[in-house]
Amino acid sequence: MMEFNQLDMRSLLEGYQKKQFTVTEVVQASLKAIDLKNPKLNALLEVNAEKALTRARALDADISKASEKKLFGVPIAIKDNILVKDWQCTAGSKILEGYRAPYTATTVQRLEAEGAVIIGKANCDEFAMGSSNETSHYGSCRNPWDLERVPGGSSGGSAAAVAAGMCPASLGTDTGGSIRQPASLCGLVGLKPSYGRVSRYGVVSYASSLDQVGPFSRTVWDCARLLEVLSGADKKDATTSHLEVPPYAARLQESSLSQVTLGVAPQWLQGVDADVKEAFDRSIEQMKKEGAKIVEIDLPRTRYSLSVYYLIAPSEASSNLARYDGVHYGFRAKEFKDSEQLYNRSRGQGFGKEVKLRIMLGTYALSAGYYDAFYLKANQVRRLIQQDFEAAFQKCDAVLVPTSPSTAFKLGEKTDDPLKMYLSDIFTLPVNLAGLPGVSVPCGLDKKNLPIGLQLIGRPFEELKLLQIAQAHEKIQGVLRLP
Amino acid sequence: MLTRDEVLKIAKLARLELSEDEVAFYQNRLGRVLDYMTELKAVETSKDAFVRHVPLDAEPFREDISESFGGRDALLKNAPALEEEGFLLPAILESE
Amino acid sequence: MSTLRDTYEAVIGLEVHAQLMTKSKMFCSCPNEFGAKINTNVCPVCTGQPGSLPTVNRNAIELGVRAAIALNCQIRDESIFARKNYFYPDLPKGYQISQYEKPFCEHGKLTVKLKSGEEKQIGITRIHFEEDAGKNVHAAFGTVVNLNRAGVPLIEIVSEPDMRTSHEAGQYLRALHSILRYGDICDGNMEQGNFRCDANISVRKRGETKFGTKVELKNINSFRFVEKAIDHEIDRQIDLVEKGETIKQQTRTWNSGKNITELMREKESAHDYRYFPDPDLSPLRITKSWQDKVRGAMPEMPEQVRQRFQKDYNLSDYDAGVLTASKELALYYQETVKICSNPKASANWVANELLGRLNAEGKEVYDSPVSAMQLGDLIGRIDQGEISGKIAKTVFEEMFATRKNPADIIKAKGLVQISDTGAIETVIDKVIAANPAQYADYKAGKVKLFAFFVGQVMKETRGQANPGIVNDLVKKKLDS
Repeated sequence: MMEFNQLDMRSLLEGYQKKQFTVTEVVQASLKAIDLKNPKLNALLEVNAEKALTRARALDADISKASEKKLFGVPIAIKDNILVKDWQCTAGSKILEGYRAPYTATTVQRLEAEGAVIIGKANCDEFAMGSSNETSHYGSCRNPWDLERVPGGSSGGSAAAVAAGMCPASLGTDTGGSIRQPASLCGLVGLKPSYGRVSRYGVVSYASSLDQVGPFSRTVWDCARLLEVLSGADKKDATTSHLEVPPYAARLQESSLSQVTLGVAPQWLQGVDADVKEAFDRSIEQMKKEGAKIVEIDLPRTRYSLSVYYLIAPSEASSNLARYDGVHYGFRAKEFKDSEQLYNRSRGQGFGKEVKLRIMLGTYALSAGYYDAFYLKANQVRRLIQQDFEAAFQKCDAVLVPTSPSTAFKLGEKTDDPLKMYLSDIFTLPVNLAGLPGVSVPCGLDKKNLPIGLQLIGRPFEELKLLQIAQAHEKIQGVLRLP
Repeated sequence: MLTRDEVLKIAKLARLELSEDEVAFYQNRLGRVLDYMTELKAVETSKDAFVRHVPLDAEPFREDISESFGGRDALLKNAPALEEEGFLLPAILESE
Repeated sequence: MSTLRDTYEAVIGLEVHAQLMTKSKMFCSCPNEFGAKINTNVCPVCTGQPGSLPTVNRNAIELGVRAAIALNCQIRDESIFARKNYFYPDLPKGYQISQYEKPFCEHGKLTVKLKSGEEKQIGITRIHFEEDAGKNVHAAFGTVVNLNRAGVPLIEIVSEPDMRTSHEAGQYLRALHSILRYGDICDGNMEQGNFRCDANISVRKRGETKFGTKVELKNINSFRFVEKAIDHEIDRQIDLVEKGETIKQQTRTWNSGKNITELMREKESAHDYRYFPDPDLSPLRITKSWQDKVRGAMPEMPEQVRQRFQKDYNLSDYDAGVLTASKELALYYQETVKICSNPKASANWVANELLGRLNAEGKEVYDSPVSAMQLGDLIGRIDQGEISGKIAKTVFEEMFATRKNPADIIKAKGLVQISDTGAIETVIDKVIAANPAQYADYKAGKVKLFAFFVGQVMKETRGQANPGIVNDLVKKKLDS
């Protein structure tokens, strides 16, 4: 048997077309890798071998049409805050324990329509609130590069599953860095699309004005292919753009680095780990050598991103999470004397520590007397951050910054101090606040042999340009191996 | 810094029952985070500037066509308690 | 003589929730219909499932714009859907999508007619869109939640506190109801809760400019007791003030069984709804050209129909007013005229006989036992001489009681008018023969006795003889 789980998605697609192997064989290999590694990693919270194999056999019956489907026979893990009908959807929370999705998210429908095989539901921080996967009610997920360390978060399980070779691709969600940061910590390509590029229908809302769904993969081509399937207007999501979706994968080679100007903001790089800084500088040098023009830019107001994000996201979350009340679905406290107590206890017991912190933070920021000073003010500063990027994009086609100031940290290392944890998203938060596309690509390993990520940030809806630059970078650096 | 009463008031608004330990914990954490956020006070902003996060070409409307969902049972199956196909909870006092 | 009550005046403002006549709900495609089995008109969106998102019903917005135009409001180019956050079992998302700081229209007005003959203009503060909640059914063992109604589109129409009497409030409510019905905006069914009214009421000494503490009177769900409920509340407040007590800010509800208002709840510290713009929806843009399109396709409003009735049917201002008081009535009248082609007679029959009987039985036009087609048919039969007007009233009574067609009643009861001159002459001869003394007197010059003979003939024919023919023939016989 071939080592299917060492193959990236594109190689799988080519293999099917050449009839080198069947979907059933690939899915079996996937399930085997899960059996072997998931007990240690805790990357997937639900796996359904029977469903996956049934689907695989159905695809095999049609394998002559493999080339007609963009994701034919690709095993994909779905973050457990995205609904897939009849699968569990816990969003990493006790309050949704046992909840069975009554419908399927638009993104998952699109993956399945192109021939993907759903292999499992991936662990994540509770309601996507976290940067290390440690807030999951179902236990921490671990980093395949070092089991003592976190995979990043909140889409830690989605990243770990791909890095561990359980599947060549997965879906995550990114509200403040939840795809890009774990992609960086696990050595993968992870993309957060422009706000409105991809449907949010069927994605458990955390912060509606910031949430986006995006892919994890091992290569830029795989990322591009996944993005073209996921993207596009959805009648069920009134915040999706009607802009045409280009065939990202087919057009990756169209542009060379000599045609692009890249922006670097020096003040962003203070406080970045030495290894990370070194890898970042090396990438810049390499791209410069290939003809890219590098300019300095200034993003002065992005330094308020943390405050702005931690007011806006919790405010929206406090409202989005009001539906978990123990009345219509989900966890209900065992003992209560009246309906008031049913609400208070179901929510008090059903939500974890960090989620309750953010609900209270948001409730406070929206409450009478504080709205103007907190919620409204944060939204006004958010506009300034957006303006900083608008100004920067007058001078460059993409902004370059490390995805995370450090590589994967140890479990428990940052759980005591919320601000310390929040700082690990300092380079990703502003991108969500400004609604921009951002992609994290591997740019080497640090001295501890842990992956380092480079983040490329583009103009709204210029995912193609971003991916073209990422592709050129990958060509220089080579595809990172699996751990 | 937030007072204990403020924490209790927020918890009540958010319908969260907190233990004594939690009240102290959140008083401290919320206080720390909110203190950090006071940095925004110093930023000069204009009153009308509010981010429009929704793309301008998003379609804001749905046509008025009625369609049944068809998955009613899947919705009801998730209910913690049902009575005659209605969601059941202890009697509530009539108030908004 | 002035009473104690005359030294006070009431200040009344009304908030009306009107359900919009759309096919689907406000933010999802579930059917907007009444009476379905519990929790059947539900989907992920209106049950607040994780991951579900709202999408705005275009038609709901158009109906709202119609209301705004009919009520002379200023429409905002851009308004905001906001979330009103509160926990309640009939509110599955834990928030209601509504409009707060920026409603889609403001500053309207509605002119109402008062019984004094005067007109009064009532200001409309604002109209905004929102979604309805589900229904909590209270049972002995707990509360059962039905979400069929959750997400049904509503407009809330908030008036200025411009009304001073229960009569003004009642007339405002009726005029508003009529406009929404004429515009096909809301079906106006109060029993089903599709048109609901809350009143804010306070009292103050006449001449005082400050408002008193207001009490919210909830769920006034029938025109029959609007005035009564408001009057009762006004009296209650005046009594309290006179006793030197303070009026507490409360929410009360009308108990139509006991004819009193009852306390629902004391206003605790004001709710903190934490309104904020719904991030799942873009600002609601209602362009000028869209407004024009809606304006161009507006159904006729009551005032226009009234003018048309006066012009086309040659009706008096008064009759036209009566017949256009509700859309159902105007349609009923129009249909009646279409059948019998006699606008004047139709007006009399509809305004007097029909409304009289309906009012006596407490029925509405839509549940009239006599249809417009049947009434038109009846009037046609009078005009064609088949029955007399007097007989027609008997037939109408029977129609109202049995829902039968006039032809069947006339046939079954043998009420067809006798126009056969030969038959009538036979009866006249018989009458003259039976009353020789009166005949002699008539011949001697007592011409007044003519009426006696006509009466006798009508009696003999049980009123079925054609009165015109009887008149002619009696005259001929007596004078021959």
